[in-house]
Amino acid sequence: MGQYLPIVVLAILAILFGVGSLIASKLLAPRRPNTAKGAPYECGIVPSLEAPERFPVSFYVVAMLFIMFDIEIIFAYPYAVASNSLGVYGFWELVAFSAVFFVAFVYVVARGALDWGPVKKPRRLVSRDGDILSESRSVSTTIRRVGFEGRETREKVSV
Amino acid sequence: MIALDSLFFENLLWTPLLIVLAKVLVVFVIGLLATLLMVWFERKAIAGMQNRVGPNKTGPFGILQTLADGIKLFFKEDLFPTRADRFVFVVAPFLSFVPAFLSFAIIPLGGDFRDGNSGEVTIFGQVTRIQLADPPIGVLFALAISSIAVYGIMLAGWSSGSKYPLLGSVRASAQMVSYEAALGLSLACVLLLAGTLSTSGIVAAQSTITDWHFVSTGLVPFFIFLIAATAELNRPPFDLVEAEQELVGGFNTEYSSIRFALFYLAEFMNTVTMSGLIVTLFFGGPQPIAFGDFVFDIPMLPNALEGSVWLLAKILVFLYLYVWFRATLPRLRYDQLMDWGWKLLIPASLGWFMLLAAQQLGRRNDWNIFLVTGACIAVLVICYLLLQAAFSRSSSQRERQGTMF
Repeated sequence: MGQYLPIVVLAILAILFGVGSLIASKLLAPRRPNTAKGAPYECGIVPSLEAPERFPVSFYVVAMLFIMFDIEIIFAYPYAVASNSLGVYGFWELVAFSAVFFVAFVYVVARGALDWGPVKKPRRLVSRDGDILSESRSVSTTIRRVGFEGRETREKVSV
Repeated sequence: MIALDSLFFENLLWTPLLIVLAKVLVVFVIGLLATLLMVWFERKAIAGMQNRVGPNKTGPFGILQTLADGIKLFFKEDLFPTRADRFVFVVAPFLSFVPAFLSFAIIPLGGDFRDGNSGEVTIFGQVTRIQLADPPIGVLFALAISSIAVYGIMLAGWSSGSKYPLLGSVRASAQMVSYEAALGLSLACVLLLAGTLSTSGIVAAQSTITDWHFVSTGLVPFFIFLIAATAELNRPPFDLVEAEQELVGGFNTEYSSIRFALFYLAEFMNTVTMSGLIVTLFFGGPQPIAFGDFVFDIPMLPNALEGSVWLLAKILVFLYLYVWFRATLPRLRYDQLMDWGWKLLIPASLGWFMLLAAQQLGRRNDWNIFLVTGACIAVLVICYLLLQAAFSRSSSQRERQGTMF
């Protein structure tokens, strides 16, 4: 147990340092809270929406997968350290475990548990209403002219 | 071989206790100084890469810039968001700051490991190591502690009661958890070759260049470890946790004053620690660079101190590398990040570990090494094809999903 004594002492010292600096900041810093300062910081925009309470299920899947991999790691470390004495039997044990684990991983990947980002929507050139490639559609009807209003008249004036 | 610190084998007396206190103080101060200098170094190096001057007013070359920033932060108002969970909000910085210092404790900071020496030194008649603690679980301790740091970030974002910190912290926990698996598996390769978990034992097993195992651990596990460590540190190009353009400042948006400084300190301390860990695991830690019998010996220095110089030099290489990454690489997108971690790094590290294990077993039992390698490669190719089939199936399913809408 004595081997861990320095770590405990270091932890105590680090906590003391943190608490000490918090106390120092309390003594030195001004304290004038108001509602604007206490509001959630969103770059000056007044917060309108609540923080999300539901998250994509992928995050939970990743957390569960991590536990699986952690167990694999826990299995691998003792073998790595004691591979000499565990011998052939230990190796096959490791292979069997990894194989089961790998098959599960392949299944999870194939089911799309690790796909992130928005679903890719292939662009349909002919839509149901046929308005994407219609003949009446031209550049001038599609692109909104921004900043062109009033420009012609000014040019006339300058001419 | 379990390398323990022989300081604690006898009954605890006053001298060992005082040595422990002195070591703790020295390590703590080294940690703080390293952080201060690292922040300065990063700003200065990045400024150089971006054709700027960087900090240059405070002290020579602006070296005191971090200190000035720290003092300024003491005088800043400490804000409590009204919707914050007060208790967790206060505890969270400690959960990321204390572990950052704790994992520094197991890195060998010096000592003479040459010619079969065990790296122990004698101070005031007590035999000890130039390393704060050398528990038998060594590297496992660093991994465990770095997992606690995830809580700090997670809880900081959650307790802020604000939108962007929450998003940042959810991202952070998923990211750190994903890359921790790759980190752990690539580390297992090093442990397999060293046969011990103790950091000083690992260093002692790497006395010459050939013992660094450039092929077996330097090729795949080292790069996986480097990438996973960068992701674990939330440093660019994996800094999605604090992606300024999307999340304001990430998990620490609502933190101000010295609480923010604690997070900042933890981040840079972790960078230093991780560089130290990389050097310890893959590049012989405080060992001098040696080819066979030839050793690059620094004259006029006792061997134990020379170890510290070598360690510093090696760590600096990696610190520079991290700064270089930040200046060069654009940030990854979140799905790219997850794909990298899960679909490339984790299977690769697992496969490499199995390959190494089989090779080692074959060598011990005098099996035909070509046969073993060939069988391994065949199995790995089958696994690779299986994975590819899974990828193509998931992507085709996703495309079908896309056309449904």
